[in-house]
Amino acid sequence: MSTYWPWWAGAIGLALVTIAYTLATDRSFGVSSAWDRVVHWRSERRLERLEEEFTDEYALAEALAAATAEHFGTSPGGPTSPQIPHGETQPLEPDVEPTAGVSPSAASLRPVPVVTQAALLVSIFLGGWIAAVTSGRFQLRFDMGPGFRNVVTANPLAMIALLFAGGVLVGFGTRLAGGCSSGHGLSGCGRLSPVSIVATTVFFGTAVAVSFLLWKVI
Amino acid sequence: MRTRGAVLLANIITGLALGYTVANIGFGDYAELNRMFTFQDLRMLLAFAGAVVIIVCVFALLRVRRTPGRIHAGVIPGAALFGTGWAISGGCPAIPIVQVASGYLPAVVTIAGVVVGMRLCRWANARYFQLDRGSCGL
Repeated sequence: MSTYWPWWAGAIGLALVTIAYTLATDRSFGVSSAWDRVVHWRSERRLERLEEEFTDEYALAEALAAATAEHFGTSPGGPTSPQIPHGETQPLEPDVEPTAGVSPSAASLRPVPVVTQAALLVSIFLGGWIAAVTSGRFQLRFDMGPGFRNVVTANPLAMIALLFAGGVLVGFGTRLAGGCSSGHGLSGCGRLSPVSIVATTVFFGTAVAVSFLLWKVI
Repeated sequence: MRTRGAVLLANIITGLALGYTVANIGFGDYAELNRMFTFQDLRMLLAFAGAVVIIVCVFALLRVRRTPGRIHAGVIPGAALFGTGWAISGGCPAIPIVQVASGYLPAVVTIAGVVVGMRLCRWANARYFQLDRGSCGL
C-alpha cells in the first residue's frame, strides 16, 4: 500500500507553496531558474555588485540634482520653465517615470539575490529529508529503487551513465525552455501564460512517450 | 515584503514546504513517476493538475497579473529535451535533491548532470543560439 499522500492533499500542498511564494514576494518561483543562478554563482554575484554600484551612482546623481535644484531655487519635479540647472536634472526623469509607472510589477522583474536561491535549494533538501524521516521512508541506498531497476536498467554502470545523461538533458532543456515543472508547470500555467502552457504540454508529452518506450519497448 | 531578509525567509519556507510536499506526494520515487507518465496510476498526475487548477482560480480571484510571455525558438526543443531527461532520470530538477535527501545516493550523479547541462546551455546560448530565454515565460 502506498504511504504517499492522496492526490487532493498533494494538489493543495503544491498550490499553497506556489500561491504563498507569489503573494509574499510578488515573484514567481522556479527551481530550474534558482539552480541556474546558483550554478553560475560567480557571474551572478558580479552582476549583483554592478547593480549595487549602479544603484549607488543613481542615488548620488539624484542627490546632486536635488542639491543643484535647491541651490538655484527650483524644484526638480516642479513645473518650472526650462532653466540650465533644471535641464541637468531632466535626463533622470525618463528613467524614473517608467519604473514608477509599472509598479508593483517592476519589483518582480528584478531577480532575487542569488544567496536566496541557494537557500531555496538547501531548504528543498531539508524539507525532503524531514518528509523521508518522519514517514519512515528514509533509507540510504546505492541504487534508485526497484522502479528504476525494472523499467530502466539493473546495471550499476548503465544506471550512472543514464542518470548523468538524463540530468544533462534536464539541465540543458529546462534552461533552453526557460523553466521547469515548477516555473512553467505551476507558476506559469497558473498565470495562464501561453509559453508555459506550450512548454508544459511538450515536456509532459515527451516524458509520457519516453516513459512508455522505457516501460513497454526497451 | 520585498527586503532581502524577507525574500530569504520566503525562499527558506518555500523550499522546506516544497521539499516536504514533493517527497510526500512521491515524485522522488521512480516507480511512482513511471506509473504517472504511463497512466497506470493517476494519483500524482491529479495532484499536479489539481494544483494548477487551484492556482489558476486563486490567481484569478486575487487578480495576480498575467504574463503574456513569448514563445521563443528554444521553448519547444528545450521542453522536449527536459521531458526526455525527466522520464529517464526521474529528476525535474528539484527532485534529485529530494531523492538524495530520501537516501537515493546515485541521484547525486543526476545533480551533477543538471549542473553540467545548465552550464552547457548558457555557453551554447551565448555562442550559438543567442536567445533571450527569459525565465518561466515571465
